[in-house]
Amino acid sequence: MTERIEKQLQFFVRDKKHHALRKAASDPYRYAGKYRAEGLSDLDRAAARLRDLLAEETPVVFPDERIAGLRTVPTVPEIFTPEEEAAVHAAHYIHEQGKVCNITPDYSLLLKGGFAPVREEIRTARERFAAAGDAEKVHYEDVLMEMLDTVSAFCRRYWDAAEAAGNRVVAESFARIPEQAPETFLQALQFLRIIHYCLWCCFHYHNTFGRFDQYMLPWYQADIAAGRLDNDTALELVEEFFLSLNRDSDLYPGMQQGDNGQSMVLGGFDAAGNEMFNDLSALCLEASLELRLIDPKINLRVSKKTPLERYISGTRLTRQGLGFPQYSNDDVVCKALRQWGYREEDLIDYSVAACWEFIIPGYGMDIPNIASLSFPACVRKALENPDSWQSADTLMDAVRAEIFLESEALRDSVHDLYMEPAPYLSLMMHDTIAQAKDVSLGNRYNNFGFHGSGLSTAVDSLAAIRKYVFETGEISREELMAALDDNFADEPLLQNKLRYEAPKFGNDDDTVDAIATRLLNDFADSLEGHRNERGGIYRAGTGSAMYYIWQAAQEKASPDGRSQGEAFAANYSPSLFTRLNGPLSIIKSFTKPDLSRVCNGGPLTIELSDSMFRNEESIVKTAQFVQAFILLGGHQLQINAVNRDELLDAKKHPENHRNLIVRVWGWSGYFVELDECYQDHIIKRMELTV
Amino acid sequence: MTKGIIFDIKELAVFDGPGIRTTVFLKGCPLRCRWCHNPEGLSAAPQLMVSLGSCTHCGRCDEICPSPEHCITCGKCVPVCPLHLRRIAGTPWTAQDLADRLLRDKEILGMSGGGVTFSGGEPTLQGTFLLEVLPLLRGMHRAIETCAYCDSALFTAILAELDYVIMDLKLADPAAHRQWTGVDNGLILKNLRILEDSGLPYRIRVPLIPGVTDTPENLNGIAALLDGSRHLEQVELLPYHRTAGAKYEMVSRVYDPRFDETVSPRGDLSPFAKRGIPASVL
Repeated sequence: MTERIEKQLQFFVRDKKHHALRKAASDPYRYAGKYRAEGLSDLDRAAARLRDLLAEETPVVFPDERIAGLRTVPTVPEIFTPEEEAAVHAAHYIHEQGKVCNITPDYSLLLKGGFAPVREEIRTARERFAAAGDAEKVHYEDVLMEMLDTVSAFCRRYWDAAEAAGNRVVAESFARIPEQAPETFLQALQFLRIIHYCLWCCFHYHNTFGRFDQYMLPWYQADIAAGRLDNDTALELVEEFFLSLNRDSDLYPGMQQGDNGQSMVLGGFDAAGNEMFNDLSALCLEASLELRLIDPKINLRVSKKTPLERYISGTRLTRQGLGFPQYSNDDVVCKALRQWGYREEDLIDYSVAACWEFIIPGYGMDIPNIASLSFPACVRKALENPDSWQSADTLMDAVRAEIFLESEALRDSVHDLYMEPAPYLSLMMHDTIAQAKDVSLGNRYNNFGFHGSGLSTAVDSLAAIRKYVFETGEISREELMAALDDNFADEPLLQNKLRYEAPKFGNDDDTVDAIATRLLNDFADSLEGHRNERGGIYRAGTGSAMYYIWQAAQEKASPDGRSQGEAFAANYSPSLFTRLNGPLSIIKSFTKPDLSRVCNGGPLTIELSDSMFRNEESIVKTAQFVQAFILLGGHQLQINAVNRDELLDAKKHPENHRNLIVRVWGWSGYFVELDECYQDHIIKRMELTV
Repeated sequence: MTKGIIFDIKELAVFDGPGIRTTVFLKGCPLRCRWCHNPEGLSAAPQLMVSLGSCTHCGRCDEICPSPEHCITCGKCVPVCPLHLRRIAGTPWTAQDLADRLLRDKEILGMSGGGVTFSGGEPTLQGTFLLEVLPLLRGMHRAIETCAYCDSALFTAILAELDYVIMDLKLADPAAHRQWTGVDNGLILKNLRILEDSGLPYRIRVPLIPGVTDTPENLNGIAALLDGSRHLEQVELLPYHRTAGAKYEMVSRVYDPRFDETVSPRGDLSPFAKRGIPASVL
């Protein structure tokens, strides 16, 4: 790490000295009343919001930085007054906060040529609509142009600030951007930084970076070819850019701090099957490894063709304990997207939305997290009907029927969807200019994704019933249902048996794993052939987002021995309290279902002890383990090198971390079984892990 | 058919031989190394393990126990513990059942050039069982992690069914070996020569116990024993960790190391380096 990067790390990340430049939080409704009084349309308000917020902003250029951009106004204004907001909510289905979010823009639409050619495109479209007498579309083009003007004016102020700070490097970048195409990698990074910054200022959130290593590659290559950059100086630039993404990220909380969607996708394969992992991808991995910062969150596209060295690079990053890279398997994801009707030229360009949902940059206005189906809730409903209980098979049929009902209810719950207009973001989506169609109204892909939460709870519940009710007959329906309704209050032994002795998903047990396959197929079947109000399809997925807590909180005790309200496993993972055979059995079980049918997104999440990353030899083997998951047909994988926070939580709530394994030295133990002094010892050691 | 007593089967073992491995821990050991971190591997018989750390003393286990004076490992207390803190370490397996369990992962282990490793305890203590199960696993990469304290004819027979060996060498001096492990190292050193002559690739592991095995004399002595080996891949020094005593209370034993645990072990590689033996600290 160079001295410059080390200094910035200290200033922005450790000391957060730039926070001193932040203004006080302000009223989010400070403009809404004025907009209403002026009778502005929602589109005009969206345009005014960016203009007004940027006017409040003070450009800050530090003397020795090369990529400028700092948020000084913490509160992004709303465009509607609370009363108007309530009216909009009453009349429409509002997804989350009602803003366009969680999609991947195509930044190259602005980066490649600068604003000038985009202005030309807007003018052409405007003339066409003017000739046709379509005033509304003419107005839309005017708003698009206004967005460019707003950002351009803001950049001009940054240029002035750079001159005032005597920062020649930043001044030179702003002398070209945004109107003209960036000439160097540095200018392109500065451009991207400011474009992305303005997305946040439009109240978009979960603003992803997509395939950075692909769309930034031309400038990187040109600089290398011209001798303006070498590997070390390029790495320093990438690091400075990554660091810049951590300056304001505390202003962008999602469900939790850190859930800000600043994800980045590296690698992948082109139409001919050639690997697209390049020198810049490698630099990104290296930068992330050196910086150890949560942003950007790295995703690595791999396939059965990916060489082991790629997994080794990824594993070195995993070792840092940040929980990424997250891997996605092109073999499965591209197949899924193809089955869902995505165009061949688009699907190979897939990226991820904030977390893990697959989405096409510049074309996807998918809402991949619009709802979540709770598998345990469907099981519960089936159990409540005595007619379901004739046999294990009739029970499975009843669960399928419930999944269909629930899926229909979720589909029906989304109608008259409304999102605030997004004219600035629309500039980074294809066809919006030519069609004068705001991205908030849809784009090429308008699919809705459903999470599927609590799968392992549902599978384990059905497996337990199959065994104890239908095979051994040791529990009757009435006894089981009474115990569940009573939250096992009088049946601790039964609960123990169900929790710890019953068959579980993740043990490479074909009988149990077949239940998972069946439930996932039921879920996929329940959505197949249906169209949403925007003409898109529905995609089933294995993610859970926060629903593994939310939906679990309402759910009664379940036949897998889970207590009332106890959390499901996150995403596509074994239940928390199950003690399984081990990671090989887990990946074998979890790759048995046809994941291309439930590929909305949602990774298998595995925790590995940091000792798995102890030396070069073990890193290679851990990398081979990841590779094995991909070769077996896994869709998405996230590995956590077990970290201190989790261990501390395990100390406080051992019941939630039964599955947490620590490799203590030459042996492995369940963390919760160790005495406190040994737990503390390991926690201490985690602090020392580099 | 002999039944093997197994106290753990660990998947994704990355330090127990080439590639990704599944390691089978066979119960029982003829040595009593003072630093042993697997106390449940010492006795050959199944035994009750209790994790006392989070025990709430609810008394359910006492209520059901048919033999409070002396544990008969009936296992009745295991399912009644609400926190699931009790288990029986040591499960009998037939060779065929174990082979079936391991062969299930033959393909996935093979992808990385890995396979199965028998560890312990001391796996050769269940030599008859090993000789039953190993032939059933032909086609998988088979390794053993051993202290090599066993009958040389048995050792030779086991080697014939293996692809790889990880062998412990703790102390070069016979008297010190007796003092710290309870047995003489004559048989071990004889088996080391048998191992070298077998032509199997092998790795030597030396636990680095502060003041006991990490001394210059001992490391030099071990290096001298290995001088000129043709099939030795490398030597790994395993530094002592203070977590070694973690499981003693769980098996109602007292951890009594009799060396100063607070001293960091020294991992001097020079005795190996000067003899051209590849060595590293793990």
